[in-house]
Amino acid sequence: MKIMVDAMGGDNAPGAVVKGSLLARDEVGVSIVLSGKEDVLKKYIENETKDYRNIEILNAEDIITNDDKPVLAIRRKKESSLVKALHAVKNNEADAIVSAGNSGALLSGATLIIGRIGKLERPALAPFMPTDKGFALLVDAGANADCKPEYLADFALMGSIYSRHILNIENPKVGLLNIGGEEGKGNQLSIDTYGLLKNSSLNFVGNIESRYVLRGDADVIVTDGFSGNILLKSIEGTASYIMDNLKKELMSSFRSKVGALLVKPALRNFKKRLDYGEVGGAMLLGVNAPVIKAHGSSDCIAIKNAIKQTKNILDSNVVNLIREALQTQH
Amino acid sequence: MFEKIREIICEKLGVSPSEVNMKTSLKDDLDADSLSLFELVMAFEEEFNLEIEDEQVENIETVGDIVTYLENIIDK
Repeated sequence: MKIMVDAMGGDNAPGAVVKGSLLARDEVGVSIVLSGKEDVLKKYIENETKDYRNIEILNAEDIITNDDKPVLAIRRKKESSLVKALHAVKNNEADAIVSAGNSGALLSGATLIIGRIGKLERPALAPFMPTDKGFALLVDAGANADCKPEYLADFALMGSIYSRHILNIENPKVGLLNIGGEEGKGNQLSIDTYGLLKNSSLNFVGNIESRYVLRGDADVIVTDGFSGNILLKSIEGTASYIMDNLKKELMSSFRSKVGALLVKPALRNFKKRLDYGEVGGAMLLGVNAPVIKAHGSSDCIAIKNAIKQTKNILDSNVVNLIREALQTQH
Repeated sequence: MFEKIREIICEKLGVSPSEVNMKTSLKDDLDADSLSLFELVMAFEEEFNLEIEDEQVENIETVGDIVTYLENIIDK
């Protein structure tokens, strides 16, 4: 089992990516191929260790930046760390890919190079969100701004399988993100999708409003990429706002500073629950190999966790399970 | 040439052959977005062993445009 890691992608690349990869290698014994400029990567590796076991480098002289237009970058920057890594997976030289770089490029590249499973129309991005009951999966969090009901039905199916095998939830509850709880609510897409999900074999629990998502009312939250992306960023932004302003208030007087000292461990635990880096990355469901998008600002721990998550995905054979389920469906 | 192109379009866009003729608009009739268009372009490049310039992709509207464009490149 080999995992390709785009060593030049992300705000903290390549240092954090190299360090995170080595941590993952040591913790779970996975084989990693780092794509990027060989001479640069060698220096970063040597800063951390002399142990090159299960670490290889795939030389790539070019980089796709966050300013690059995704599809054009994939087409024109054929020597980039991301494109070379995607081709390695396509050619079975590696089994999966992790990147913290340009999201659009990773998603487009995975679709164009690794390819969609069978007749699936649209792959979807699926990050985890922390909830009162553990974690929920959001599908689609931004790969497809405009969707048809059939796409959302596919997202629900893939999300259920992923949830079952990676979160070990026996019969994942599938909820349709909507502006109201009752059947018949929402736009035409919601109404039509509701019908498809109700008649499916999935454990569909109905519509779920955004305010109840973090309560854990559903294990898989299904929505179009536009709404999903807004939901995700709203939650991230609200969490940052609360933490920043809470900190300001706690530091505002002597009395509250004393209180802050006492609650510091509790706050640290709470912050950890919201930390995306603790759970790994977002899987692109619906392509022929595991493709994991780590957050752009991932530190080495977030990268390590994304790689560990990828190993879990490979061990659980999730992509093949999704392929079989989609074949039955279509 | 048209047959092969139609086969690739049907495979990539999940449409039936009867929906594809020379006048079929990729965007309006077959619902292809920019990513699907590039999927097709890459499939044609692999099938016919040639390179299609990105700027030319913007000029492709119908299946007929693809056939004409590819025939021109292959003739050269």
